Amino acid sequence: MASLPLLTLATFLPLLGGLLLMAFAGRSTRAAHMISVATTGLVLMITLGIWERGTLPGAFAQVEEVTWIPSIDAAFRLGVDGLSLPLILLTAVLFFLAAIYSMRLSDRAPTFVVLLLMLETAALGTFAALDGLLFYVFFEVSLVSMYFMITGWGHEDRQRAGLMFFLYTLLGSLPLLLAILGLYIASGTFDMRAWIDAPPLAGLGAMLALAAMLFTFAVKIPSFPVHTWLPAAHVEAPTVGSVILAGVMLKFGTYGLIRFALQMTPEAFAKAGTLILIFGVLSAVYGALVALAQSDLKRMVAYTSVNHMGYVIMGVAVAGMTMDSNMRAVALDGATLQMVSHGLVTGALFFLVGMLYERAGTREMGDFGGLLGRLPWLGWAYILSAFASLGLPGLAHFPAEFQIFLATLNIQPWATLAIVAIAITAGLYLRSIASVFLGTPRDRWAAMADLDGQERLVIIALLVMIAAIGLAPGILLDVIHATTAAM
Amino acid sequence: MSLIALTLAAPLVAAGLIAAFGRLAAALALGAAALGALASLGLLAGAAQPQTAVLTLPGLPGYPLILQAAPINALLSALVSVVAGFVLIYAVGYMRGDPQKSRFFATMLVFVAAMQALVLAGDWITLLAAWELIGFSSYLLIGFWHERKEVPAAAARAFIYTRSADLGLYIAVFILIGAAGSSRIDAALDVTGMPAVLAAFGLLAAAAGKSAQVPMQDWLQRAMAGPTPVSALLHSATLVAAGAILLIRAAPMLPPSGLVAVGVVGGVTTVIGGLMALAERDLKRLLAASTSSQYGLMLVAVGAGVPIAAVLHLVAHAVIKSTLFLGAGVFQHDQSSTAMDRLKGAGRARPRIFAGFAVAALALAGIPPLAGFFSKDAVIAASLSAPGFWWLAPFALAGTLLTGAYMARALKVLWGSEAPVAKEAGSALWMGAGFGGLAVLAATLGFSFGGIERLLASEIATGVLAPLLGLGFALTGLALGWAFAAEALLGRLHGWASAGFEVAGGMDAMILAPTLRLAHLCNGLDRRLYSAALGAARRTDRLGVLGQRSDSEAIDRSISVLVRRTIAAGGTVRRLQSGLIHRQLALTVLGIALLLALLLTARLIS
Repeated sequence: MASLPLLTLATFLPLLGGLLLMAFAGRSTRAAHMISVATTGLVLMITLGIWERGTLPGAFAQVEEVTWIPSIDAAFRLGVDGLSLPLILLTAVLFFLAAIYSMRLSDRAPTFVVLLLMLETAALGTFAALDGLLFYVFFEVSLVSMYFMITGWGHEDRQRAGLMFFLYTLLGSLPLLLAILGLYIASGTFDMRAWIDAPPLAGLGAMLALAAMLFTFAVKIPSFPVHTWLPAAHVEAPTVGSVILAGVMLKFGTYGLIRFALQMTPEAFAKAGTLILIFGVLSAVYGALVALAQSDLKRMVAYTSVNHMGYVIMGVAVAGMTMDSNMRAVALDGATLQMVSHGLVTGALFFLVGMLYERAGTREMGDFGGLLGRLPWLGWAYILSAFASLGLPGLAHFPAEFQIFLATLNIQPWATLAIVAIAITAGLYLRSIASVFLGTPRDRWAAMADLDGQERLVIIALLVMIAAIGLAPGILLDVIHATTAAM
Repeated sequence: MSLIALTLAAPLVAAGLIAAFGRLAAALALGAAALGALASLGLLAGAAQPQTAVLTLPGLPGYPLILQAAPINALLSALVSVVAGFVLIYAVGYMRGDPQKSRFFATMLVFVAAMQALVLAGDWITLLAAWELIGFSSYLLIGFWHERKEVPAAAARAFIYTRSADLGLYIAVFILIGAAGSSRIDAALDVTGMPAVLAAFGLLAAAAGKSAQVPMQDWLQRAMAGPTPVSALLHSATLVAAGAILLIRAAPMLPPSGLVAVGVVGGVTTVIGGLMALAERDLKRLLAASTSSQYGLMLVAVGAGVPIAAVLHLVAHAVIKSTLFLGAGVFQHDQSSTAMDRLKGAGRARPRIFAGFAVAALALAGIPPLAGFFSKDAVIAASLSAPGFWWLAPFALAGTLLTGAYMARALKVLWGSEAPVAKEAGSALWMGAGFGGLAVLAATLGFSFGGIERLLASEIATGVLAPLLGLGFALTGLALGWAFAAEALLGRLHGWASAGFEVAGGMDAMILAPTLRLAHLCNGLDRRLYSAALGAARRTDRLGVLGQRSDSEAIDRSISVLVRRTIAAGGTVRRLQSGLIHRQLALTVLGIALLLALLLTARLIS
């Protein structure tokens, strides 16, 4: 047992499931969903095993290495530390719940399942890769699946949104390839551990590489002003697509920001820190303001992602700018936890908005009213998720945002002005609760049914995890802190 | 299990049971309240010992969560549990027959637990968390009748107002943790210099928001949409009290400029709140304005550098104001209204309730030997003893005068000429028991103040001047309020006072509206950004057609073509199912092969 390559297993099991499905059960919807749930469930158990095995302070743990292209020293290298492990767990959880939720899907289900499983392999691979080339391959492959999910199962305007998504993120990721090549040429290896332990680039080269990486990750995160693909993609994407896109794929950007930009070009990062911080603050405040102006629930939730990811950028930026290792750890703890919290909370919100849309055929806040009495499960789940998203203590975002702002105030006090976004977020969520769930019930929705068993299962699972992280953030922060304290 | 844990766990577990099973809500709530009250009284009994009870929980790395039962914590914990206990007893009768009463009791218990966490907090993170949680549970309680028309807006307003002010607390906490290197509240009390000044103003902003002080005085009056027991609890020992408690806890670190600011805010609020109460035409809104005014008096005491006087007035006010609200709830039930015009003579119809209400009203005005007499004397004595006595004392005395005037006015209306018929209100037994218990406390609690001063090791000498001045102003106020109409007393101020002393449209016009305008401006900008990006994307797309292809665009092109075909194929879904995946995988492989080729070339070149 101790020698099983769990990371490789977890990463490729979904792909294997997808291949099995294509080979043997091609057209059966039932078989497709069974394979989907079984595979993602198994992957979740394996990742729990990875969690159990743990990390090492100041180094990567559970490293699995296989020769791939020796002539350029690119190898199949996987491993985890306190930064990637929480994201791997988040990925496994969200894909499992997405598989359960998509069991209701009957339209071309096998193809959808194959796309979902391929996407899980790409996501897990992105977080576990310790080889620059391998990272890039996983990073790119994820785009393909998501593109087809949006264009194949999306809503009315899906073609345009799909195009935006694909061009933005694909063209956006080319600079990263250049940066990776630069790191390779300077060091002669694709081993990311070598790049982190002894950053190979310096001076202008490092600054250019950093600029390239920042562009790629800014698009992916997404940061103001290259975020416009996000709301478009979310509004058109199917529910599960939105959950995975916001919950998992945005974290590629923030994860890359720490893993690549901060860790591999630290000196350049410290120099550019103020600029990065400015974009973080802008994203946080601007995202909240634009979200406040939305009347479409899904667009609103999408824009709050820009806001929440803005806090992550702020945390990473101030971490790169300080010499105080204690405050740096606080900032990175907060930034990393914020990624997980956002994955769970926004995942829950997109599921709930999707459930509402399936029942009503509209997402306009003004079309609803007084639903709480009729749909207490949906209503209370939305209220709790919304309060989690606006940072209520006891729920997942509070510890993360608290740490980010604590570090920000003590490293770059001016950037604390982004805290006004906390009040704005409160306003926009309360408005959405008031207009959809409170007030006088409308006859139009008199026949609407509350959540069924499957839906409740998905939402309860997410809410339990959201509360667990809020009440005992140590369950993740212990792992995260062991790594960030050594950075 | 320690008493601290029991204080919090009893209401939380009961709330969980009620939420899970939806039965026996009232019995569980009363049981939990009794258990919690015993635990916190136990804490109070043990608070005099030199060894402070502490409960430490794991929190953030390096910043554990601390609950402690030092004298001030234990005293406030006991106050919260006793007032909450009587309000819950009243609520058993008041909510009888309400189909949603399980939800009511569960939320009330969560609220009480959060408030206990706030008063027992030994570190800033616990305090901040509890601070936000009482805001959340009061949102749920004010919004309890969520299908009524005006309720959602009232609940949202209360939460957003207080949360905006909470940003001050966030910033103060970040400053203090950074400056002290620890999240312990004790450690922060040694902070001096610029951090202390900035933190003091942050704390003051947060406290002004929660305690409805100028310029955030108006949300409280509009937050009357919840059931009466909710108002009774929010206005006495809990939500609104949190602001004053915060400043009392932080008092030792407040620099001179901070003390002056606290005194000014409190002084102005006590006068403005008193004038608003005097001008009010609705009994519950009168009591709400009075809450602002009384908390203003507590801030005057803190500003004078005598926080013990603020503690005494907090304790006295908690039992007095909850009595007044519970009494008002009975009259409201009888007359189906809280408008003063409709309540004329409502007291005559219920002489026993009126007697309790009158005792509490006279206690608030400061008539001996009722509780408010001693606490108000302490505040006046504090203001006289401060270096800034020449401006603090007039505020304190004006607040006292106004208290007498508006309470006299309320009593006169309730004792009006014609006596309407009393209805059978809820279950009179339970309501009477809760109300009566608090009324007795309002009358007698003043005699325990000596003990409280000894427990907190901080005694004040009231002297002779303060009680005389206090009593004189109180009696004058009562006489004026009884003898003259509000319009006559206020003159030209009456209109402005009725409008809540709104300046330039208030917070709505000054902050809310510009924020919304800015939001729509950003939204317009965002649409333009999107169009620009889409235009650029289309051009890139066209470039691809022209054959200027990079490897990645080639992939992109083929996928676009593929998707167009997919859509065109429409009906022949089955064939596409397998085709789509194969082609897509082939494309992925192709893309990777191209990348590798590029890399190998790069390697050869270098």
